[in-house]
Amino acid sequence: MKLRRAPVIILALFILTCILAFFSVGFGSKYVSPAETIAILKGSDSSYTYIVENFRIPRVLIAILAGAGLAISGTILQSILQNPLASPDVIGITKGAGLAAILVIVFLPNSPTALLPISAFLGAALVAVALMIFTRNSGAKSSTLALVGIALGAMCQAATDYILIKFPVNANVMLLWLAGSLWGRGWDQFYGFLPWFIVLLPLIIGMIRKLDVLQFGDDISTSLGVKSNRTRYFLLGVAVALAGLCVATVGSIGFVGMVAPHIAKRLLGPKHQYSLPVAALCGAILLIIADSIGRGIAPPIEIPVGILTAIIGVPYFIYLLRMERKK
Amino acid sequence: MISASSQKRVKVFFIYVAGILVLIIGLIMSIVIGVTNISIGATITSLFVWTEERKEQLIIQTIRLPRTLVGALVGANLGVAGALMQAITRNPLASPQVFGINAGASLFVVASVVFLPSGSSFDVVYFAFVGAAFGGAIIYFCASKGGLTPVKLALAGMSIHFLLSSVTQGLILFDEDATDMLNWLAGSLNRSNWISVQQLWPWSVIGLVAASALSGAISILALGDDTAKGLGQRVQWVRLAASLIVIILAGSAVSVTGPIGFVGLMVPHLVRMIVGQDYKVIIPLSALFGAVLLTYADVLGRLIAFPFESPVGIVTAVLGAPFFLYLAHKARGMKR
Repeated sequence: MKLRRAPVIILALFILTCILAFFSVGFGSKYVSPAETIAILKGSDSSYTYIVENFRIPRVLIAILAGAGLAISGTILQSILQNPLASPDVIGITKGAGLAAILVIVFLPNSPTALLPISAFLGAALVAVALMIFTRNSGAKSSTLALVGIALGAMCQAATDYILIKFPVNANVMLLWLAGSLWGRGWDQFYGFLPWFIVLLPLIIGMIRKLDVLQFGDDISTSLGVKSNRTRYFLLGVAVALAGLCVATVGSIGFVGMVAPHIAKRLLGPKHQYSLPVAALCGAILLIIADSIGRGIAPPIEIPVGILTAIIGVPYFIYLLRMERKK
Repeated sequence: MISASSQKRVKVFFIYVAGILVLIIGLIMSIVIGVTNISIGATITSLFVWTEERKEQLIIQTIRLPRTLVGALVGANLGVAGALMQAITRNPLASPQVFGINAGASLFVVASVVFLPSGSSFDVVYFAFVGAAFGGAIIYFCASKGGLTPVKLALAGMSIHFLLSSVTQGLILFDEDATDMLNWLAGSLNRSNWISVQQLWPWSVIGLVAASALSGAISILALGDDTAKGLGQRVQWVRLAASLIVIILAGSAVSVTGPIGFVGLMVPHLVRMIVGQDYKVIIPLSALFGAVLLTYADVLGRLIAFPFESPVGIVTAVLGAPFFLYLAHKARGMKR
């Protein structure tokens, strides 16, 4: 039943993403009306051309990629860990990535930009390894995983706080790494982001079937001929890489990676060939909306997007906890 | 029987003595150690003999001494608040940090500073109380229908903590001095002075005395609601009184130093490991060892990256997060 509507829903979400992205371009310290935006896109010269072309458009594109990336990462984590509470931020890997990124920024300010995503990935991977070690006995299934992740995240956060206090930076830069923000992201960051994203995406698409099988647990996947451990670690690596990449670009934005997969599953059920693209679109939509609100609500001050995703995401998280109890 | 209980009393007595000694050593270290190193002899003379010109004396009297006092008081507050929370919720992971009370208090404090910049620093504490109650009310709502395991309740609490601190970080943007605010948000004694002491001590005394007075009832409550009711206790009233005390203790602590995490989580556990389940002993000892922990954590924070003073909240987080892991591991056994 649900699956017959799948193409319609995916198409509808895609169109919604485009529309929201278009309107999002207008928000900011200088409001640009939709008519003006169209004029600028058509190539006519306006006093806002520079702002729109160099700041607003890349920023919206980054929001789309980061939202989609976090959502895909969250979907994979929830499936392979069979834990509806798992997501890159709840299990602490975004905090690890953020810490690694800020270490590079503060201590190696002249390093090539390619180092940033790599170090963020290493930070995320380190936390993921620690997580696996600490939850080995409980099989990563219970809420212990989330709790261990929170503790690991708290440690990374403490270290991040420490570095930010010891080496004071601009308030916006600081909040970028504390809460996650799209402040000052431009084409440079976009072109640093896109190639990695393009590399990772086919890997994930190739694994969609295996993801479907893995979410039923080890016994069933083994009997269906999937080498569950190897596949699981591979997918975990991909999810961690994707999350690390997003964090390297936009900071540790929370809750998108948890909420979007749930919305997707509610819309089209657990088959990944549908839930992955839907989750990606939902993540992109969430991030575009949150960033537009953040820019538009009190200009010229920008509310970091991570703060708004937390405000949207936490009530949902608590709702999930309450639902899980009923099972 | 008699010899066993008197043996225990002797043990508790020795723990008190040992704790007080350790605290005194910590307090002296806290006064002596810092960017300007001051000899112990100079410390003692400057505490008791007043001479105008000495620089050391000025440092001790205006900076070190109030800072040390605030550290000890805040540690005691948080230790007792954690002990009360763990008793009334019977959740080993309960503490002002984990259940969002610190985050609620800091949100309201930051909001009051941002929106009412002309307000007196003595009024800030009332905002902290309201915020602490607010954070507590949300977690109470989550727990109200029952059935959440301790681990899941802690998860809900931590996510409330994330939510409230996110909003707080957003508010900081409206304040010019963001770095200063961040220092406060990490939990820091750097700016404590005699005014902080004056802000804090009346509430500490009220909270600690009330907690001690309530400790007998808390011991009974910790046995379980049914048992406590069977023994004739008005369970809801005890819980309400304890909650108010937690709000006073945690709120006043946050209003002065910012949210310092994990003290309220660790201290009661350590105390219970040593002396068992009697809250008449646990509560005063939690105050004592809370003061010890925070005093030493602050000294450590001054030494880690000397001469830079690291916020004490970061030190307690680094110590506390592994402890939280350990508790989460243990709490799994209690899952229903």
